[in-house]
Amino acid sequence: MSITTMLVTMSDGMLKTFGIFFLTLLGALPLGMVVALLKKSRFLVVRGIVGIYISVVRGTPLMLQLLAWYFGPYYLFGWEIGGWRYPAIIVGFVLNYAAYFAEIYRGGIESIPVGQYEAAEVLGYSHTQTFMRIILPQVIKRIMPAITNEIITLVKDTSLAFTLAYQEVFSIAKQIAASQTSFMPFVIAGVFYFVANYLVEFVMKRIEKSMDYYK
Amino acid sequence: MKKIVASVLAIAMAAIVLVGCGGGASTTTETKSTTEDTSTGKIAAYTEEDLGKDFVFKHGFDQEFPPYAYRNDNGETGGFDVELAQAVCDYYGWKYEPVPFNWDAKDMELNAGSCDCIWSGFTINGREDNYLWSMPYSDNEQMIMVKKNSDIKKLDDLAGKNVGVQTDTSAYTMLTEGEQKELASKFGNLQVFPDYTTAFTELKAGSIDAIAIDITTGDHLIKDDKDYGYLEEKLGNEQYGIGFRKGDDVLCKKVNEALDALVADGTFAKLGEKYPEIQPYLSLGKK
Repeated sequence: MSITTMLVTMSDGMLKTFGIFFLTLLGALPLGMVVALLKKSRFLVVRGIVGIYISVVRGTPLMLQLLAWYFGPYYLFGWEIGGWRYPAIIVGFVLNYAAYFAEIYRGGIESIPVGQYEAAEVLGYSHTQTFMRIILPQVIKRIMPAITNEIITLVKDTSLAFTLAYQEVFSIAKQIAASQTSFMPFVIAGVFYFVANYLVEFVMKRIEKSMDYYK
Repeated sequence: MKKIVASVLAIAMAAIVLVGCGGGASTTTETKSTTEDTSTGKIAAYTEEDLGKDFVFKHGFDQEFPPYAYRNDNGETGGFDVELAQAVCDYYGWKYEPVPFNWDAKDMELNAGSCDCIWSGFTINGREDNYLWSMPYSDNEQMIMVKKNSDIKKLDDLAGKNVGVQTDTSAYTMLTEGEQKELASKFGNLQVFPDYTTAFTELKAGSIDAIAIDITTGDHLIKDDKDYGYLEEKLGNEQYGIGFRKGDDVLCKKVNEALDALVADGTFAKLGEKYPEIQPYLSLGKK
């Protein structure tokens, strides 16, 4: 098999890798915020449930979670799972990453001094206004480096979809390596992940810079 | 108790998904023509009506198992078993759907109904009672692969050596609980690999001394590498078949009939010519 054929075959998987990547960000970035706010809820039960969710998701391997989401419906309810492979992967990734994002958000929110809330109250801001106009913009600025870290990890973690034999770059690389007894597909996969992450770094740096408005 | 905690967690997580993503990606599950029998949690067997022209045959296979199922030189899904399954589908006018899976998860995939059969160089021996088997269509032999100038000349020389094998293959079963268990107990180490490619790489790199492998799979690995060969003494014999869910008798019968027809019209033999590593071992249509 020529390198061109390898690249063409693997490019199909690259699109699928990007698919997992973007859908996960699309789901996990907002969901993480919901989780972070729920964890600061006034109700003990809500805080408790969210706390358990974060502990479980962070405390077990993502690989295992993917298996659980895919095969769980069958083992728990006896449902046929044909067609559930891709949705299960996305659900697994979104819930996993939302937990990590939530903790980053929470750290950011708690880093804002209480004095700012008090000052906002004195000035007549409502709770929502205080959060949306004063707290959140500062939080986003502060957490950017940590978020970039997570996003880079996500690019690499997409390869875990091979557990469910989803045909993303890494699965295809393994298959070509098996049929051609060659290491080349792994080199191509490595370059692919690196270039993808280089782009992530570049874009995130741009975003950070655009938020540098107090300097 | 643990089960209750687990299901509460599962429900809580599901609730969070529903609230959080507003039903974004999770709405694409669709059950096809099969209906599940909820009382037992088992996937119901196909009936004669299910297997009409619009039936989608979900072929489950390990895509890292050349030459039975693998990415061929054009980067497409191919292999003897894949082409044979396609021929069976063509025979009935079924739609062919490839379901590549991880070998470790094959039973879960089959039981949960994401595929209809396990069919990629699947050994019957030792698994007779676990599946509903089609007729065997190929024989095979388990061999010990070594470097040609190695000091290992017969099975007894393997004492104290590091031997590699792919997880949950027939060679693996034979060495861990089958007829060659005693031999394996003398090995220095039985190193279990996720796939034979990795095992072969380690053999070349010298970190293991030998590989226990099916001869057809082994022939594919050493096709371009004349430095490697097999011991004359073989580990054992086996037969390949197609594994269906127990109770899926109608589907099994139909596939058997199709195999008979493909042997009779020469399609089976012609397919064998495309795969010279496998051809000598094909057992249908002989004698």
